[in-house]
Amino acid sequence: MESLSTDNEFENLYSYLKKISNRFVEEEDHLRIVVENEKLREVAEVLSKTEGVFLRTIAASDERSVNGFYKMYYVFGLDRIHRNIVVEVPLDAENPVIPSIADIVKAADWYEREAHDLIGIKFSGRILHRFVLPDDWPENVYPLRKDYTVQDLVKLYRPEIIAKAREVEAEAAIIIPIGPYHPALHEPEYFELYVRGEKVVGARYVGFMVHRGIEKLAESMKYDQVPFLAERICGICGYVHSTSYCQAVEKALKIHVPERAEYIRSIVLEIERIHSHLLWLGVALHLLGYDTGFMHVWRIREQVMILAEMLTGSRKTYGLNIVGGVRRDIDRDKVNKCVKVLDSIAKEFKEFVEIAMSVPQVKSRLRGTGLLPRNEAASLSLVGPTVRGSGIPRDVRRDYPYAAYKYIDFKPVVRTECDNMARTEVRVEEVFQSIELVKNFLDRLPGGGIAVDSWEPEPYRFGIGAVEAPRGEVIHVIVTGRYSPYRWRVRAPTYQNLPAVPIMLRDVDLADAPITIASIDPCFSCTDRALIINIEKSDVRDVPLVALSLKGSRLLR
Amino acid sequence: MVKFVKVLPIAAKIGTVTIRYPYAKPIVTDSFRGAIEVDPSKCTGCGACTRICPPKALSLNIEGGTAILRYFVGRCIFCGMCADICPEKAIKITKEFELASEQVSDLYIDVEHEVVTCRKCGSKFVTSKLLNKVEQKLSEFSKELLSLCPRCRRVEMLSKQVYLR
Repeated sequence: MESLSTDNEFENLYSYLKKISNRFVEEEDHLRIVVENEKLREVAEVLSKTEGVFLRTIAASDERSVNGFYKMYYVFGLDRIHRNIVVEVPLDAENPVIPSIADIVKAADWYEREAHDLIGIKFSGRILHRFVLPDDWPENVYPLRKDYTVQDLVKLYRPEIIAKAREVEAEAAIIIPIGPYHPALHEPEYFELYVRGEKVVGARYVGFMVHRGIEKLAESMKYDQVPFLAERICGICGYVHSTSYCQAVEKALKIHVPERAEYIRSIVLEIERIHSHLLWLGVALHLLGYDTGFMHVWRIREQVMILAEMLTGSRKTYGLNIVGGVRRDIDRDKVNKCVKVLDSIAKEFKEFVEIAMSVPQVKSRLRGTGLLPRNEAASLSLVGPTVRGSGIPRDVRRDYPYAAYKYIDFKPVVRTECDNMARTEVRVEEVFQSIELVKNFLDRLPGGGIAVDSWEPEPYRFGIGAVEAPRGEVIHVIVTGRYSPYRWRVRAPTYQNLPAVPIMLRDVDLADAPITIASIDPCFSCTDRALIINIEKSDVRDVPLVALSLKGSRLLR
Repeated sequence: MVKFVKVLPIAAKIGTVTIRYPYAKPIVTDSFRGAIEVDPSKCTGCGACTRICPPKALSLNIEGGTAILRYFVGRCIFCGMCADICPEKAIKITKEFELASEQVSDLYIDVEHEVVTCRKCGSKFVTSKLLNKVEQKLSEFSKELLSLCPRCRRVEMLSKQVYLR
């Protein structure tokens, strides 16, 4: 068997991990080791030095009421053998301190800062300032601790802005915030670009403007309500979140989803990818000033939206998943319609994309800009088309097969040029690949039920669910509770990929900064603003990103 | 020829795709899920839908002498879980989605139910329709006990047990 020989590859690592741990549990998809606080850095060092290991996510959890500890779960992935290594570290209930590993594993940076803010874990070896919570959040209130319910938190935290509104007697008025922190944008990210002349020399990112605390909210919802909440994490690729959540619960409770449901999930996941990649391409072309292309891509995309509605009942938030399966079946008639639409999209898109890629400003502004070297992509544990554009064939569908991907042969799309063009080409080719995948799945759609009849929750089981979203890996970690998830940790691909943007921005022309930021596909709104700080003149300008980018295209003409 | 000009014949062939909304009706497919409709004649006021509803758009409260199942379409996410779970099949998923209104009261739809009063403590605890239904299902069960609220019923049953001994 192939799995045996590849297992040997990590044999030394496995025996080392088992030896250093106090206790270990071996599951189908992961090895979980319980390690003492003092040994964490050594373990992290060994894992980070092993070729082919990357940090997938970190979850902090307040389990004082269950076992008397705070817990940190570090999830490392071994792509080649399709396994995870979960390092579990119990922390003292009175004084939860753990050594920082951010200097060893770069990707751990944000996770540690988030655990610090939300659960109050202290990290020795680094000083942390508030990152996720707003400035006016009360001191020593850690929202993800079990001491607080959602209702408590609503009472504890009254945003200063509400008091301000009262001061000017605007109680009944609606607050309209304007500026880079505008919460109405779908993902308000904010970059400070440091420039010398027209060249970007550095960048700083400020985020978490719209942290909504949904992990906490889910703890007060029932298992079958959470998929609908999960789906609303992202307005473009929400289905990946509800799938990840369901898979995590199913893994934790060992629920076996019927094969037909697995196929239906995969079909809808691929349809979501097609619409998302087409959406991205449209926005990218718009940023490059080729609005004709933008209109045509979105026209082609509209057929995908209608298709999704036909299959699921909704254009976007499909509402299809429940724990144990799916809610709607696909009949013969729908299969035939689906194949017909997909064939027409493939033909139209092929014809169009050849034209779009020959447009001079599109070609010249994508090629050679926003370089992300392979080694940097590897060390930051990046995911999705961002990492595949830098020559690393990481793809959850192949590396940690789930749903119906386990039944097919699958080869990730990879480019080695490491530039904006490479990432664009990966997405374009994936559109065609996804169309083929959906047709393949429809062809093999097995019979049977679409959901398990019933299942029983069992508290304090651990599960991981991961899905290859259009933007990269989405991973959910769950600790089950009696009626609701006890702890639900969500990690979206942009979380992992954003730290790569400052690297891509090094030495690019200012006008190419917007397309470079957009090249990781962070669901950017075109009205998001950048702040330009000119080092030589030390002046500060505030400009809409799209205006900045269009300037670059005009120079080419 | 410059290749990118080839987009022109495509544009000419496709023509205008934008629909003259709202003058031309937008197309929704047969599978589309919109707002729900509760059939008052079928609904028994059991409240199963209010417990599954993810955004809490449905609520069941006893106000005065009536139980009110309230549907607030402003919170509804059109998931249709209520229709899936309803034991009476009283909830229908419609294709309505153009629901904006100048009056917020238009967004609330109430289904009212008569409630039963506990013959001992006088509290209102269940809709009469649901109680009738339970009575039919549990024909061998004492009618006297059914007209008690859950708390009084427990006391009654326990005291009977003690008395038997």
